[in-house]
Amino acid sequence: MAPRIQSRSVSNLLPYLTSSSSTSSHIPSLCSSSQSSRHFSVTATQQTKLRRQMFEWLATQGAGLKHHTPGDTNYLRMADGSQSNRPFPNNSYFISEPVLSEELRNEVYVRVKEQNKSPRAVSVELGIDMNRIAAVGDPLALPYARAVHEMIPTTPLAQAGERQTYHEPINDLPVHPATGAQIFYPVPESRPFTRIDAGRVFSGAPMLEKKAADKISHPSDLAEDVLQKPSTIEWVGKGEKARQVLQPADVRIPHPQLVQLARDRAAFPEERRAVAQRHAERLERQEKAEKERAARTADRRKRSTETIKPTDSRFAFRIQDAVFTEQTVGKDGRAPWAPGRRYGVPRNDRTRGTVKIPTRVNV
Amino acid sequence: MVLRIRLARFGNKHKPFYNIVVAQARSARGSKPLEVIGTYNPLPIERHGIPDHLAPPRPFKDITLDKARAKYWLGVGAQASDPVWKLLNMARLLEEKPKTYQKA
Repeated sequence: MAPRIQSRSVSNLLPYLTSSSSTSSHIPSLCSSSQSSRHFSVTATQQTKLRRQMFEWLATQGAGLKHHTPGDTNYLRMADGSQSNRPFPNNSYFISEPVLSEELRNEVYVRVKEQNKSPRAVSVELGIDMNRIAAVGDPLALPYARAVHEMIPTTPLAQAGERQTYHEPINDLPVHPATGAQIFYPVPESRPFTRIDAGRVFSGAPMLEKKAADKISHPSDLAEDVLQKPSTIEWVGKGEKARQVLQPADVRIPHPQLVQLARDRAAFPEERRAVAQRHAERLERQEKAEKERAARTADRRKRSTETIKPTDSRFAFRIQDAVFTEQTVGKDGRAPWAPGRRYGVPRNDRTRGTVKIPTRVNV
Repeated sequence: MVLRIRLARFGNKHKPFYNIVVAQARSARGSKPLEVIGTYNPLPIERHGIPDHLAPPRPFKDITLDKARAKYWLGVGAQASDPVWKLLNMARLLEEKPKTYQKA
């Protein structure tokens, strides 16, 4: 059996947990302590070559990594001695990505909360994903953040007059499960086939009528309508399999307005101010529509929900209006999407061999 | 025969969940009712892991109810069971049930 290292000794291997008084002199003592703990054993402690090499390395090259310089990464160096953002030199795919610096994070907070800018606009200005912008408002674990920020790369906030470096790509398109299918779809050469048509093929919708198709000069034309009124997206399929027609990438990306901005810039290279103006207007319209929609949803929920707080109870009761009609519960009252649990439909949540974890995610 | 608005238990062990149903009074709890008019989840929902200023002041229990259908069935003489009476009282569809005893 391999010799066991006592937990007391193991803590010495973690340089940042020990006080500054612990030096490399601890490392040889570690070997001796493991030997002395084997009182009844006559055989010599097995010391493998790798283990010996490890302690040699800890005493020589590794000693430099014992204490980190605050504000700098403390990763293993490459063979040529240069510091890189790859903590594991043998795993070139593991890259230590930068996190938001404190200044940049505060700037996001100030712009969204105090200057009342929309997350969408701030995302474009600072080059930060919208999800991350939303996460900035979450409660903080400050001591943890402080400790971590000392050791990992961060994206700094640009000085006044400088251009902000983008923290990450902001317009990444999530992979839609509908696009996973391989479809052989012959199209006559004479027929224009755009991303809109591809989306319709993926979702099994019929071809767009010529009249409607002629109105669209570029797929990004749809973006504004869809963002303002998502209910205009067509549905295909029946019952449980009903789904919305897959929209072109120009619509589904987080910042569709940037496509239109780039197209405007290419079309009118001279009129920079007018293009910027149009972009600002477009953004404003979008935000207004989004805000109105959110307000409408909140209002509807508020009207259909009533919270009752009996004085003699520890609990509140939330009464939601439900309408049990043919549309909401199906013809036989047993539609799977109906509120409540269903009769006569076996719940296979305990049967053997069935998958009990969610198998699909609705995007 | 008497029509009752009562609870029908679903869910697993220690995880009750009720449909609020209209059924013949003498039919079994798990039999098919005339109609499902709502649901009641007696397990209080506590929002763990969300910031205090966003959390509801009290844990709450969820009720969904089709008020129009409930009113109709009460109108044609369906009688609510005691637990459902309490729920319908909270939904302001029934007066509080008169007590059969007096507190000293």
